[in-house]
Amino acid sequence: MEYENRTVPEGINVSKDHPLKEFFILALGLGTAVVVLVVALSFAAGWLVQFVPFETELMLAEKFSFTGGKRSEELSEQANTKANEESKVQQEKIETYLQNLANQLSAAQQLPDGMTISVHYIDDDMVNAFATLGGNIIIFKGLIEKLPNENALAMVMAHEIAHIKHRDPMVAAGRGLTIGLALASLAGFGDSVVAQQLLNKVGLITSMSFSRQQEEKADAEALNALLNYYGHVKGAEVLFEILKKEEQGVTSPLFLSTHPLNDKRISAIKNYREQQASDGELTDLPKLF
Amino acid sequence: MYDLIIFFTLLGLGYTFGRMAEAKHFKAIIEREKQNQQLLTFSERFPPAGIGPVNSELVGGNVVISVDYFKRVAAGLRGIVGGRVRAYESLLERARREAILRMKEEAKAKGASMVVNVKLETASITKGQKQQVGSVEVYAYGTALIPITV
Repeated sequence: MEYENRTVPEGINVSKDHPLKEFFILALGLGTAVVVLVVALSFAAGWLVQFVPFETELMLAEKFSFTGGKRSEELSEQANTKANEESKVQQEKIETYLQNLANQLSAAQQLPDGMTISVHYIDDDMVNAFATLGGNIIIFKGLIEKLPNENALAMVMAHEIAHIKHRDPMVAAGRGLTIGLALASLAGFGDSVVAQQLLNKVGLITSMSFSRQQEEKADAEALNALLNYYGHVKGAEVLFEILKKEEQGVTSPLFLSTHPLNDKRISAIKNYREQQASDGELTDLPKLF
Repeated sequence: MYDLIIFFTLLGLGYTFGRMAEAKHFKAIIEREKQNQQLLTFSERFPPAGIGPVNSELVGGNVVISVDYFKRVAAGLRGIVGGRVRAYESLLERARREAILRMKEEAKAKGASMVVNVKLETASITKGQKQQVGSVEVYAYGTALIPITV
């Protein structure tokens, strides 16, 4: 008997379809699915937050310390030295001043009943300020030192108060949790971390557009508050001019940013000023800083 | 921002070089298969009857091929929705055929007329290490029958 090994025809295991075609169909399909998911969850978190009373937010916030754990530890270690006594007094003075300003601005913004603002001052060179759960606002020394007058500080404060008024920290917590969970559960499928990261990125960029919307709304609300409080909004744009200088050279494109670009914010403020035709005296910062 | 640039660069590199390597490899495989057509391989344990006196010897061919970055991502996306993982199908086909070819070349060098009891083993080298781009190993082995010339 004669034997032979015949040539096996090509193309049984190798598909003739272009690999890029399959890749783009999959990437677009899954990308769209993730975007839809994140948008749906973001809206859900934004909508559901009205059913969470502010007291619940306060209870949640109690679990975290906002006064800078490191600083209080240092203080307790050397509580008796005179220098520390002085800095403690100074800290209290600053916080009282900031708290008063916040109270006046909250009144100007007509916060709902039961919503309270607590301001915390952190003696650190970081140029930052943020609002977080439970009506807590944290302001760093580094930012205040860069501000030329009280109007710019009030813009920061009013912006953060607006976030609290809009319940943005709570919305962010809800979004972070649900979106994070949804994207993490994708990891149960698919064996590739790389594909996983790609989809996470799509989700992240989608959710950033929501946080940009929040920032724009907070800016608008803050300008109204400033107008109510000072009778003008002069000096508000200084804040963003300073932030612009701070981040020079590292600006990322808009779609990769959680905040609107500073140029956009400055021009929005200028527009607002022109509409209101408001002008007035700038108020100086107290000598505490 | 930068990680996106890095990601797409890696994806592009993986696609370009992976595709070039694959096309080149398939061309070489088809060419070498023609050259080794005369040397028969059987999955049967026993040789066909009436082949005359032979010496037998174990021969094997081993190959490891790495997945490229593009294939890895494409297969990862496919892994979420299911279906034919085309990116890996061609990779494994290359590995199997290359392993058999290497085994045949070894048998040929020993002066064999055929290889019987041919078997294939497949292993994933980077199993469980999710961060790594994986490699696949295919080992082909069999009993080479070398005719005794008196």
